[in-house]
Formats: sequence, C-alpha cells, structure tokens
Amino acid sequence: MQIVHDSRLDSPSSIENAYVLQGRDLSQSFGAKQVFSGINLGIRPGEVLAIVGGSGSGKSTLMRQLALLQTPTSGAVTVFGATVTDMEAMSANALRRRLGVMFQQGALFGDLTVLENVSFPLQEHTELSHSLIEQVAMVKIALAGLQPDTAALFPSQLSGGMRKRVAVARGIALDPAILFLDEPSSGLDPISADAMDELVLQLKETLGLAVILVTHDMDSLWRVADRIVLLADGKVAAEGSIRELVDSSNMVAREFFHSRRGRATGAMYA
Amino acid sequence: MQASVDLIIEGSTVRCLGNWTAPHLHEIEKRLARVEWPVTDVRFDLGGIDSLDTVGAWLLFRTIRELESASGESGYTVQQVGADAQTRRLLELVGAKSEGTDQPPMPYLPGVLESVGRHLGSLLEECLAFLHFIGNLSLVTVRSCLRPWRIRWPKVVQELHAAGVNALPIVGLLTFLIGIVIAYQGGIVLRDYGANIYIADIVGLSMVRELAPLITAIIVAGRTGSAYTAEIGTMMVTEEVDALRSMGVAPLEMLVLPKLIALMIALPLLTVFADAMGLFGGLIMANSMLNLNPATFLSRLAEALTLDAYLSGIGKAPVFAAIIAAVGCFQGFRVFGSAGSVGRQTTMSVVESIFMVIIVDAAFSVAFARLGI
Repeated sequence: MQIVHDSRLDSPSSIENAYVLQGRDLSQSFGAKQVFSGINLGIRPGEVLAIVGGSGSGKSTLMRQLALLQTPTSGAVTVFGATVTDMEAMSANALRRRLGVMFQQGALFGDLTVLENVSFPLQEHTELSHSLIEQVAMVKIALAGLQPDTAALFPSQLSGGMRKRVAVARGIALDPAILFLDEPSSGLDPISADAMDELVLQLKETLGLAVILVTHDMDSLWRVADRIVLLADGKVAAEGSIRELVDSSNMVAREFFHSRRGRATGAMYA
Repeated sequence: MQASVDLIIEGSTVRCLGNWTAPHLHEIEKRLARVEWPVTDVRFDLGGIDSLDTVGAWLLFRTIRELESASGESGYTVQQVGADAQTRRLLELVGAKSEGTDQPPMPYLPGVLESVGRHLGSLLEECLAFLHFIGNLSLVTVRSCLRPWRIRWPKVVQELHAAGVNALPIVGLLTFLIGIVIAYQGGIVLRDYGANIYIADIVGLSMVRELAPLITAIIVAGRTGSAYTAEIGTMMVTEEVDALRSMGVAPLEMLVLPKLIALMIALPLLTVFADAMGLFGGLIMANSMLNLNPATFLSRLAEALTLDAYLSGIGKAPVFAAIIAAVGCFQGFRVFGSAGSVGRQTTMSVVESIFMVIIVDAAFSVAFARLGI
C-alpha cells in the first residue's frame, strides 16, 4: 500500500527549488484554540494542488497564509525563493503581485464595472496606456469564458457563477505564476461547476499556472487536482493524487473519500 | 543600462528582444505607435524573446494584425519567425480570445433628461414607499396599543438605554456650549445698552423654544437614526428580516415599534436635559461676562419663560422622535443587495431625517405664531 505523505517535504533539500511556493511548519491558533500546526506543503510550477478537509479544518486559513494575506502564528511561507514571515512588510507586496486570488464570494468592487474590475490591477501596477489595458482586460474576460458584453455590467447584475469567472479574470490580470481559488465551484449549479473545472484546466494548460484550490467538490478533485493535501485534526492527514488517496489505507482519507459522495464520484471516474 | 525589453527594426526585419512582460512594456507600446513601417514584406523575428506574458503577446498580436491588414491591401506579407512553442501558443491564445477588444462595451450612460426623469421617478417611488411604511407602522402601533402586553417592553428598555442614557453626555456638552455662545453673542449687544438683565430672556427663550429641541433632535438623528438604519439594513443583507417573516413574526412589531416607543420617550427627556444644560451655560456666561449673579439670572428667567414657551419646546420632541425613528427604520428596510447599500441608506437616513426635522420645526413655528403661543 502506498505511503501517501510526501516525506521530501519534511526535510529542506535540493527538491525545494522545484517549488514555486512552499509553506513550512505553518500553524495557526486563535486564542487558545489551535486550528492546525506543523503543516508543510509545496506546489510545483504548472501543478494543481487541492487543499481539502472537513468544515472548520482550516483550509481557507491555510490558503490565506499561503496567499500572503494572513500571518501564520508560526512558520514561514516561501514564494519564488523569498521567505516571508512578516506579511505586513512592503517586500511582501511585490510578491503578492505575482499571486492571483479568487475569493469565495468573488470580492469584486461593487462600484466598478466588470471591465474596470479586471483592468484594476493592470492600471495600478503597469504604465501601459488605457486602451491597451482595456484590450488586455477584454482578452482576460474572454479567457475566463465570459461574453464580451458582460464587460459593461456591474457585479450586482451578475449571477454567482459569472461573478466567480470575473474574479478569476481579475485574478489572472497580471499573469500571476500562482492562482489561488477559494471554493471555485461552491454555490454553483452542476453545469457552471463543470465549466469552472474546465476553466481551471484550460488556464493551467494555456498559461502554465500553478493553481492552489480549496474545495469540497469531489468532482473537481477527480477532474482537475494533480495532488491533494487532506487536512484533519490540525495536521496533513494524507497527501497524494486522488487515486493514491482513495486506495490508501489511511483512515482519515478512507473516511473522506469513501463517504457516499466520494464513492459516487469515484465510481464515475473509475 | 541595457533595456530589459527591446524592439529593433533592421530594414524589413523586426527583432523583438528581452522580457515582453507587463511591467516593462510601456516604452515599447509608445514606440510601436510611432514606428513608420517599411513598405515591403515584413518579418517579425521573435527568437530573442526571453519571456512573454499575455500583455506582451497581445501587443505583438495587435501590431502584427494591424500591419497585416494595412499591407494586405498593398500586397505585402507579414511573417513571423523564430517563435518558440510557448510564444506561438500564447499568440494563438490571445488571438482566439480577441473578440470584443476592438470596442470594449461601455456601461449605458443615460442623458441629462433621462437622468432627471429617472431621479424624479425614484423620488416619487420612495415617497410612496414611505407613505406605505408610515401606514403600516400606524396600523401596527394602534393594534399594539390596544394590546400593550404584546409590546416587547424589555426591548423598549434596551433601546431607551441606547438612545437616551448613552446620549446624555454628548447632548449635555453640546447644548451647554450653545448656551454659552448664545449668551456671549447676546451679551455683547446688551452690554452696550446696559440691558444686561435681558440676557435671561434671550438665552431662556431661544434655548427652550427652539435650540434645545432642534439640536437634540439633530444629534439623535445622527446618532440613533443612523444606528437604526445600519442595524435593520445589516439584517436585511443577512436575510435575518426574512427569517423573522418566515417565522410569522412581523418585523415592524419586533424591530420598529420598540425603537419608536423608546425614542418617543427618550427624546423629550433628552430635550429637558438639553434645556437645563443650555440655561446653565447661559447662566455661567452671564455671570462671568455681564457680572449678573445667578440668583438675578434665575429670577428674571422665571419671569421671561412662560409655561407655554417651555411646553411648545418639549412638545415638538415626540414628533421629531417619530420622524427620526420612522425614517431611520424605513431606510433600513430599503437596503437591498450588498453591504455597500447599508452605507448609502444610512447616509440618506441621516440627511432625510435632519431635513424633515427642520421642515417640521419651521411648520411648528408658523403654527404657534398663528395660535399666538
């Protein structure tokens, strides 16, 4: 039986350079309550890494730490070889520009149109002309699978699925090396959720993005994830490809992937 | 210093070099706009590109496309050479996704006449909705007054504490200062005429009849009316109001009535306190500026200030309270959609309630004058 935990992650070694982003010994506690501790994980270029776990297992918190949005209680995040311990430092801002984040609810700016939302990072961080920025933003909007006339709408006029797509378009506006997706298919109908999975795959293939995905969605795990990190009891309970996890003898992984939903989805992809 | 990105035109060959990525491209963009293209076959040599992102790819694609359409007419050709697989893939990608880039759609902007019309329409709609709300609120109030044990008295006490007791310091301080200012401004004139004693008339009548009720109402509108809008508005956004409705609890009865009752009790009491603090400020100023001792001030005050004047000031307070509570809660229920709407409605709530308080105050003044009070 396969040992699912990747032991290479535990010891800093030559392999380390292969990771574009790495979290080392990350822990988070709120007051006396410890959410997780001693988490080690890394992501390679062009890889889709899924972080899964039960509700309250700290998936989203872990993602926020990796995306340099929340300072871990202890531990450090290394992005493109630069180690960040203090998220407030100015140097972290330069690194953040190379990370794209799609938040769960989209987090689009309500008083800007879709086009202005997607143009925003380009306006802020480049000195390109307004017309070029708009054209590039239109390309990104099309890349995210949206119709051109969506660009003139305001976020309040969009459906949940479209809002997530716009959030993805904004996330990839600056051509990040790593894209974070917080529950990309939650709250979407099955068709939109499928389309979202396809979008992630397409972005990975065409732009060579590394994607970190936080999800509950078994379909997404089967369809898009190259590697899965399963959080349970504040630790990495298991790690590996979906097949390895499903076949593993690890109790937590078995429980998770052999839940009724897990089995039903697995049967489709078997 | 060597540029990290470059464009060299040698005869009919265009060589692209370096990092064609978003942070470096603004110079190239400006240069590309000025280039006079050779009027022959053009060859783009993309072999020198170290890194390319979608912005760079789009700029290249756009340039090549423009050149193709221009040279196509004159029979020249445009060629790309030396592109590696990654570059070709990105160029293809941006080309495939170029729909809508020629004319990015703009949000529809209404003309002046249409804006005016729409604004007027929404104003009318809001007035009607407010009337509707007042009607409903009146019904609920009457029904509850007939069954007073159904009123949520603990909630009333809570609101009374928040809107009344907690407002004492700010109301007290501000009206005290206004009393001082009125006494000072009046005192300058009165001293010249040797009519110092009449400072009690000026401070007494202006504070008790007009300023104390008005200032208190304005402070409470800013402090409590806005809190009502924000509280109900947040509950609208999180669907708590709908949850109440779904359980068969009328939001007006649960959320609005206790606030209305509490404020109609709190505001008159606050006004009494404001009267006292304002007169106290006047007394202090009269003493220090006009050497009028407190006993003289108070005895003159007793002559100048009639019961009518006092009651006409206090009597306005419950009306102001009803306006503030009604407008505050009404605007809260008009919150729709996102959290941003809470802020907008709160602003509107404060502006509208202060506006209405002042209008109603003016109406009271006219009415009292007609009645000879």
